[in-house]
Amino acid sequence: MSAITLIEAVNMAIAHEMGIDQEVVVFGEDVGINGGVFRATDGLQEKFGKERVIDTPLAEAMIAGIAIGMAAQGMKPVAEIQFMGFIFPAADQIISHCARMRNRTRGRLTLPMVIRAPFGGGIHAPENHSESTEAIFAHIPGLKVVIPSNPSRAYGLMLAAIRDPDPVIFLEPKRVYRIEKHEIEDNGEDYPLGMCFVDREGTDITLISWGAMLHETKQAAEKLATDGISAEVIDVATVSPLDIDTILESVEKTGRACIVQEAPKAGAVGSEIAAEIAEKSLMSLLAPIGRVSGYDTVIPYYRLEKQYMPKVEHIVEEVKRLVEYR
Amino acid sequence: MNTTNSLKIFNLPDLGEGLPDAEIVRWLVKEGEKVELHQPMVEMETAKAVVEVPCPFAGTITKLHGQAGDVIDVGSALAEFDGDGSLRHEELPDKFELTESELAKSEVVTSEADSTLAQEISQQSAGQISANEVFNLPDLGEGLPDAEIVRWLVAEGQVLELHQPMVEMETAKAVVEVPSPFAAKVAKLHGQAGDVIEVGAPLVSFGESGVLSSSSAVVPPVKQDEPDDNKPADAATVVGAVQVGNKVVLESASAVIKALAKKLKVDLTQVSGSGNNGAITQSDVKLAKKEGKLLGTKKAVFTPVTSPNQLLNDENPLDFRASPAVRAHARRLNVALSQCAASGKKGTITKADVDGVSNTTSNAPASSSSAVVVSSQSASQSIVSKSVQASSEPQTVRGVRRAMAMGMSKSHATVVPTTLMEDADITGWSKQDSLTRYVRALVFASKIEPSLNCWFDGEKFERIVHLNVHVGLAIDSPDGLYVPVVHDADSKNAMQIRTRVQELRQKIESKGLKQEDQQGATITLSNFGSITGRYGSPVVSPPQVAILGTGRFRNELKLTDKGIENRKMLPLSLTFDHRACTGGEAARFLVAIIEDLQRAE
Repeated sequence: MSAITLIEAVNMAIAHEMGIDQEVVVFGEDVGINGGVFRATDGLQEKFGKERVIDTPLAEAMIAGIAIGMAAQGMKPVAEIQFMGFIFPAADQIISHCARMRNRTRGRLTLPMVIRAPFGGGIHAPENHSESTEAIFAHIPGLKVVIPSNPSRAYGLMLAAIRDPDPVIFLEPKRVYRIEKHEIEDNGEDYPLGMCFVDREGTDITLISWGAMLHETKQAAEKLATDGISAEVIDVATVSPLDIDTILESVEKTGRACIVQEAPKAGAVGSEIAAEIAEKSLMSLLAPIGRVSGYDTVIPYYRLEKQYMPKVEHIVEEVKRLVEYR
Repeated sequence: MNTTNSLKIFNLPDLGEGLPDAEIVRWLVKEGEKVELHQPMVEMETAKAVVEVPCPFAGTITKLHGQAGDVIDVGSALAEFDGDGSLRHEELPDKFELTESELAKSEVVTSEADSTLAQEISQQSAGQISANEVFNLPDLGEGLPDAEIVRWLVAEGQVLELHQPMVEMETAKAVVEVPSPFAAKVAKLHGQAGDVIEVGAPLVSFGESGVLSSSSAVVPPVKQDEPDDNKPADAATVVGAVQVGNKVVLESASAVIKALAKKLKVDLTQVSGSGNNGAITQSDVKLAKKEGKLLGTKKAVFTPVTSPNQLLNDENPLDFRASPAVRAHARRLNVALSQCAASGKKGTITKADVDGVSNTTSNAPASSSSAVVVSSQSASQSIVSKSVQASSEPQTVRGVRRAMAMGMSKSHATVVPTTLMEDADITGWSKQDSLTRYVRALVFASKIEPSLNCWFDGEKFERIVHLNVHVGLAIDSPDGLYVPVVHDADSKNAMQIRTRVQELRQKIESKGLKQEDQQGATITLSNFGSITGRYGSPVVSPPQVAILGTGRFRNELKLTDKGIENRKMLPLSLTFDHRACTGGEAARFLVAIIEDLQRAE
């Protein structure tokens, strides 16, 4: 067992699955010789050969299309889109075909494929490298959208994603790729897809987050505890389909909810969670549903990026507003 | 590309993205202006960025090709200079066209950053070294304000060749090797590994000869990474500045186990752990699933946890179901939710419930003291009460509602009520008007046991046992409780009774009920079951001595001679004034009612 980062956990999970399942193949831009721009696929080509770890041209629609074709024939492709900002040429393949194949063939063909993409801001990257557009895919029936928040979850959920009989969009919060390490045993044990993880129990408010923002959310919960406010923290982990039961159960216990997301506020995953709470747990609400999010604007470059990102203070401030709400 | 020694044409170089052309945004110099080497000359816009192009020569500008807005092809003439002789290296303009070959030499990883860098470097290198030349950090290609020194590849005092890799710089996007712009001796390295150098700030000072003294102390060519900066050796192609931490954090194992158990519907209380210290592992949960240790289909009951904050108040707001608006309303009226009835769906406290508490002092809680409804409307229709207008102000009670209040008070002050309850089995009924059946049963029972069809005067201790049966019907209306009378019910057939009930109902709706319509009742019927309620304690209206309440009928499994049968049961509640009747009389009266009701028709 070794202490590894989130990105190394992704690598370990893929390597594990390639080791036990010949059908698993990896491809994408720079995933082979280079090992991926973030080193997600580092060493895989050496270990599993050029037949199974394939460098592709810079053509995302083709990458998704190949994955669909392979998966329809029973292979288990793990395709990389180098940054989520460049997934949109592949959107037609993903939305119009990948997500619909099971339905279109009335269950005859399923697509056991994973499309990986680093996403989110906070690393001073250029344009189109920092967006959090998980809501676009969360809206599409037929796709699972999974976002790990720490190394263990990256490992467990990646294994589950590869083993799942249906397509999974696996979004990796690149800001926290190397921010911390977990001791992970490479035992091939997967994590449940489609479930929230209650990372901290509390009684006054439910903080709901996913991906990189979970780090700020947990810090906020720590800080709130010193102020006598007991916050429950939920890692959504699978933003689609949503495990809304766990969220509602918690909100009905605490009476308050605050959603923390990096994405712009409008039309986001947080909007859906807020709507579900309002629809199903209204009678338990002691305060409005709070949302701490990015702004409804293009995420700025380097210099203003810090201003854009939701911070611990923002969460603490909003939670206090909700707890003191009368 | 240069023509003569003195006249030089500067052609537009590739600005770093392999694009075929660029647009002039604005000129920063004029024709005839004397310019220095590297002085900003023009802003060019490519598809990706606006780039400032510096003067490649010192001299006088003789011609500018194009104006703002013009698109210039790469390789076409951009500006012409009249060399003043200070520049001897006529090969320089060609350097811009050497970008690709420089690229190859510099071994930079990210192509995007790469060509721009080489570009910048070559722009800087356009000047031949003079003594003690300082090389400033160029923009490494992303318009970022600074870059971090990863490691020096050269040492002070070392003599470098042109393009020899000098230093590795990390920008937000890439680690880039910066080649030497000169063939010269390094006089000073500005900064160490880990230092952040701003674009435009000195990076390396060069000296022409080896006369550098104090600073010639040996600087290790490769500096070690800072110990706690656990930068992987492969960070070379990482795009952007990913924060690196070396802290080992524990996964919340229980969160994962709970999530898995929930997904598999496993009851964790039945699972024994095989992990360290009896911890439950994922395998334990999966095994429990196989063994069928599942949660019941019932939703887990949650026990509200009281937080320290909530302990300050004596009630936990989450013990009550109420919408935020109702909670706010209760706060405004200073009403505790624990005091409120919960008449809404699933035990929700409604705004009316809050108002009910707020008004208790001024308004009699009429609804709880009387069973009041006779209606042949369907339950769902009559459930919606349009009579109540919520308001925090006291409302004066008038008219029918006041009459009800007075009547009830009188009853409460005088009558000694006793209520007897029993069910009638009405399985044999075919579809028919239940109200007429109830009236008929009252008539029948009154013949059998007349002492309940009676008026009683408690002051004189007199009673009148009536020959005829005049049945009062309790009818709920927005204005309050009406009790109009079906007179001589004993001489009316079902059709006539039905007609009279219709007539009375219309009169109530049109507010045309006459005094005589409401007088003379000898016994009363309250059909609260048309809304809901199994048994009740209807209130006798003096001088009458009895009232029959009919509840909501239900299906019930009954043990009969034939075994277990599904029977349709009608719950009955008979209240009588014990001053006027004995329990025996009342019980016999109820038996007669049941006997009549149980006739299959």
